[in-house]
Order: sequence, then C-alpha cells, then structure tokens
Amino acid sequence: MLSNRELSRYERQMLIPDWGKSGQRKLKKAGVLVAGAGGLGSAILTYLAVAGIGNIRIVDSDRVELGNLNRQVLHTDKDISRYKVDSAKEKLELLNPDIKVEAIKAKITRSNIFKLVGNYLIVDALDNLPARLLLNRAAMKTVLPLFHGAVYGFEGRATTIIPGKTACLRCLYQDVLPGKIPVVGVTPAVIGCIQATEVIKYILGTGNLLEDRLLVYDGLSMKFSEVKLKKNPDCRDCGNTADLTGKD
Amino acid sequence: MAVKVKVSSLLRKYTNWQEFVEVEGRTPLECLHAIEKQFPSIKRLLYDKQGKLRPQFWFFVNGQKINAGELTSPLKDGDELMILLAISGG
Repeated sequence: MLSNRELSRYERQMLIPDWGKSGQRKLKKAGVLVAGAGGLGSAILTYLAVAGIGNIRIVDSDRVELGNLNRQVLHTDKDISRYKVDSAKEKLELLNPDIKVEAIKAKITRSNIFKLVGNYLIVDALDNLPARLLLNRAAMKTVLPLFHGAVYGFEGRATTIIPGKTACLRCLYQDVLPGKIPVVGVTPAVIGCIQATEVIKYILGTGNLLEDRLLVYDGLSMKFSEVKLKKNPDCRDCGNTADLTGKD
Repeated sequence: MAVKVKVSSLLRKYTNWQEFVEVEGRTPLECLHAIEKQFPSIKRLLYDKQGKLRPQFWFFVNGQKINAGELTSPLKDGDELMILLAISGG
C-alpha cells in the first residue's frame, strides 16, 4: 500500500509506461544490499533511495577520510572519522524518510556473507577483487542477481550477472593491477547510476538488462561501448563442474 | 591481415594517446606483438617478471571476449581487437 505522501513523491516516475502504482509497490517491497558506501555506493544509494526501494542494507567497514570526498558525495567534511554506513544512512533518510535503511559496519568475509545477503538483491560497489568475488560466490549460491560496477580514472564498467544464465564475475576476473586506484568523482557517479538503473529495471521487470554485456564507459573519449561476455565452462563458481555446496 | 586495435583509455599513455592502432597480424597474439614493437614501453605492463602475459588483460575480437587459449585463433581482414585492463575501483 502506498501512502498519499508516497504517491506524491513518486508521481513523476509512476508516469513511466508500465511503472504505475504496481511498479512502485514492487520497489517498496524490494530489499537491496549495497556492498560499499564509497564512490559507486554514493551514487547507487542516492538513486535507489529516492526511487523508493523500500529496504536498503548498506555494508562497509571504513570510516570517512578527507581523501574520499572528491568522489564519495554522500559524505561531507563534517563526517570525517565517522563510519561511512552511519553517514550514508543519515543522508539517505533525509533524502527519503519513507524507506528503511540498515547500516552494517562490517568487512565482508566468508563467514558473514550469507547473513549479510539474506534474500536481498546484491549490488557490488566494492573497491577490491577478493570481496567482489565473495559477493559473486554468494550470488551464485543464493541465485540472486549481482549488479557489478568498477572504475579507474576516467574509465568505468558495468554488467548485470544473473546466476544460471550469464557469465559470472569469476568468469571475467582473474586478477587486477595492484596499487592505489586513481579516480575522478564523475566516473563512479556515471557507473553507479547505471548500476542503480539496472536494479530498478530488474525489480520492475522492464527493459533489457546488461546480461552477458559489459558496458564500457570511456570518459576521456566520452564514449560508451559494449562487449559481449561468455561463461567460462571451467569456472569454479558457475561452470559445469562448479561446486556450490562447499563453504566458499 | 590489417587489424584495428582499440586500446582502453587506461593504456593510451603507452600508445601516444591513440585510441585506435592499426597493425598487421594473423592472430590476436601477433597483433599484440605488433603493438609491442610499435610501442615498446607497453611491454612491462603486459608481461610479468617471468615474461607471462598478465591475466589482468582482457581481449575481445569484434566485441566478443576471448580467453587466453584463443589468442592464437586466426583473425580476418578488418577484424577489431579490443584490449581492456581489469579494474576494481569503487
């Protein structure tokens, strides 16, 4: 049931064909885990919150630092030293008091991943490959979609992983280059908005998702391009011999 | 075989900021060697200390991802090879 206040708040998006009150109710009932409250997370969380995703769970173990503020726009100078999840929750509740926001201060590990995910859709807004692969494994085991994004400098990528249907993150990633990642704030904003769009479309059941498609954003040339992904038959997370019965 | 190679923005400082490089090669691997010849400084990024191609590099032929085993598959005239670098920033 949508309140009068919610009907007013979401009026403009409910005008979109095939959205209406029933689409808005789907968003209200939905639960989304956003892993990471940094650059990608700031954009994703902002737009999921204002779209009316009813239940948002944020997981991050870091505290806000001055060096985050060129891109992590949910946090301000006043938030320095606070936990990012607390800062993010506060801003999101100001943006939309009609949704529930859960802030979990935790590092994602093998032992807590399934509890963190529950039955929520999974959004990958992390900054490191090992934790991303834990999310991937959890998505495969729980058969929940994983909305992936990654950035570096002026370049960003996004894809949507549907377990049992598309290539998974492990089909794609073996390793990444080490070291501190250069990034300008606009890049995670662009990619985070794409990830949020995918989540909204998935919940509404509308449009075409980035399934087996890697969207490549090149901010330097200001071009979007797309490449096709394919499952690795030998992938240990989603391949023919994948064993998802084990602990990890 | 004339092949157009599209280079990720992350690698363009090694190709004099060129987004596309035209090379001659019968396979993706030969094209890669042609790029190395044209832009030798890219080699230290492409290979590890043992001289093995780093797994952080992704290759696509005509927009379709290929795996390491397909780097020696034949290319056709006019094919496009794309090189991306695995990234993980958030």
